[in-house]
Amino acid sequence: MDDFRAALAIARKDIRNVSRYRFVVASQIFTPLYQGVLPALLFGASFAVAGHVVGLEKTIGTTDLAGFIFLGGVMSGLVATAFWSMAMSIRNEMEAGTLEPTWLTPTSREAIVLGRALGGLFWFGFSQVAIFAIGIAFFGLRFRPEIVFALPALALAVVAMIGIAYLLAAVVLLIKEANFFIDCTNFLFGIATGAAFPVVLLPGLLQPFAFILPPTYAMDLIRQAGLGTRPLFDPALEYVALVVTTAIAYPVGLWAYRRADRRIRRLGTINQY
Amino acid sequence: VNATYLAGDLRALRAAGLMSLRQIRRYPTNLLGTIFWPVLLPAAWVLMGQAYSGGGDPAALNAFASRSGTTGVTLFVFVGFLMYMWLSALLWGPGTALRQEQIRGSLEAVFLTPVSRLVPLFGPTLTNIVWIVLDLVVMGIAAWLLFGVVLPLQGVLLAFAITLVGVPAMYAMGALFGSGVLRFGEIGPAVQFTRGGLSMLCGITFPIAMLPNWAQATSLAMPPTYIVDGMRNALLRSASPADLVPAAASLIGLAIAFTVLAVVVFRWLEASARRSGMLGRY
Repeated sequence: MDDFRAALAIARKDIRNVSRYRFVVASQIFTPLYQGVLPALLFGASFAVAGHVVGLEKTIGTTDLAGFIFLGGVMSGLVATAFWSMAMSIRNEMEAGTLEPTWLTPTSREAIVLGRALGGLFWFGFSQVAIFAIGIAFFGLRFRPEIVFALPALALAVVAMIGIAYLLAAVVLLIKEANFFIDCTNFLFGIATGAAFPVVLLPGLLQPFAFILPPTYAMDLIRQAGLGTRPLFDPALEYVALVVTTAIAYPVGLWAYRRADRRIRRLGTINQY
Repeated sequence: VNATYLAGDLRALRAAGLMSLRQIRRYPTNLLGTIFWPVLLPAAWVLMGQAYSGGGDPAALNAFASRSGTTGVTLFVFVGFLMYMWLSALLWGPGTALRQEQIRGSLEAVFLTPVSRLVPLFGPTLTNIVWIVLDLVVMGIAAWLLFGVVLPLQGVLLAFAITLVGVPAMYAMGALFGSGVLRFGEIGPAVQFTRGGLSMLCGITFPIAMLPNWAQATSLAMPPTYIVDGMRNALLRSASPADLVPAAASLIGLAIAFTVLAVVVFRWLEASARRSGMLGRY
């Protein structure tokens, strides 16, 4: 209970920190729009025949380009939150010189990442609501009512990404200067989950990697419920795969994080950066 | 006396170029990004193109060709991202050179030297060409190895020529952007915004025909538009040197306009920064 209170306090602190920089708050909405959503929409629309993206229908079973891209943005945003807000924030504490004092408090190390996860998820939710509002108002974004059935898939993906964030935080603790690592792996992870294009288009060697990632199944289930896209596998089977991969990702991430914590304390490298 | 000053400024310009070349050499791990991003960013967009075109559906490809002038989606995307990489290198490099001097605490010292103020503004941009050439080579190889697209030799030479013609205009645009440091200090978010804006305007990831008319008109005042279009003409539409003359002329005109604008804005902001003491603040 104390750890949960500590996690909430960390989340509150992170939310307050970000809210003090209004430009950063605005950029959380507009950066995904002008760097991802709008270019992808215009690129996709350039293949449209009489207003219909017939190629997309052939690929996934729907011509709803806006829905495909905006829902992909949800998963990209969630992945970016895990990589940057949860894992990379450890590095930010290192650079600010506050990691060591934080490590000395009686709060469990797990609560530190969990608190960042809660703070990151707050801003993730905030930006997604704003982006969807813009999509609905200006880009004809509409979903089927069945999209609510995908909420369990989204919740499971969130749990899985917290597990993966623990794993990444372990890497950050060990390698310290992790900017390039986080940047590259965030990009590769996002691509492998099918956020930008269906995973069946990935080169054959990379497809098995995509299928061991929980968000791959969550992405497919969300698009299937919200847009009626053709599923990769039977939806029930996808839910089973999502539950199983999440059940593996979370404890494995936590185990790696605890190992890294033990290692940096043994080697005395917590104050190095 | 003026000739002596000019010779001194040219020596300082060369020294600033050598300094930035040495910095590139000292951080070899930065080269990893030069291989990762120019390969994987466009590769992801090519796969997006395959998703949107239904794996090469003729009707979808014809629709794309009617807007872009080519069915060669792979090369279209790779050329666009070559410009994206160039813009990134330009804005994060020369565009933020003054800011880096400011953070290191050396901007005031540099401004106290007797060389022209234009030296620190344009000097670090000289080595930017290293990244462009590296990106050109890496992306050419990636397009060939990953997607089987073999670049025509004449097209490559003409693309390189139009790149060289575009260098002054791009440098001037970067210098104009970099001057903003003297007024605003932290310009990191502005780099993201400017790069995103130029990517949208200049036909980097999609054909310009997709933009509304006002945006298409604005794109004509941006050097990257002509460079990207010229390169695509050379590589995808077998353009001859004569076909590229109008684009080259536009680039020279924009280089002059942006240089004059950069110098005027820089002088104005410098005077303001000296009055307000902004040089030492960050």
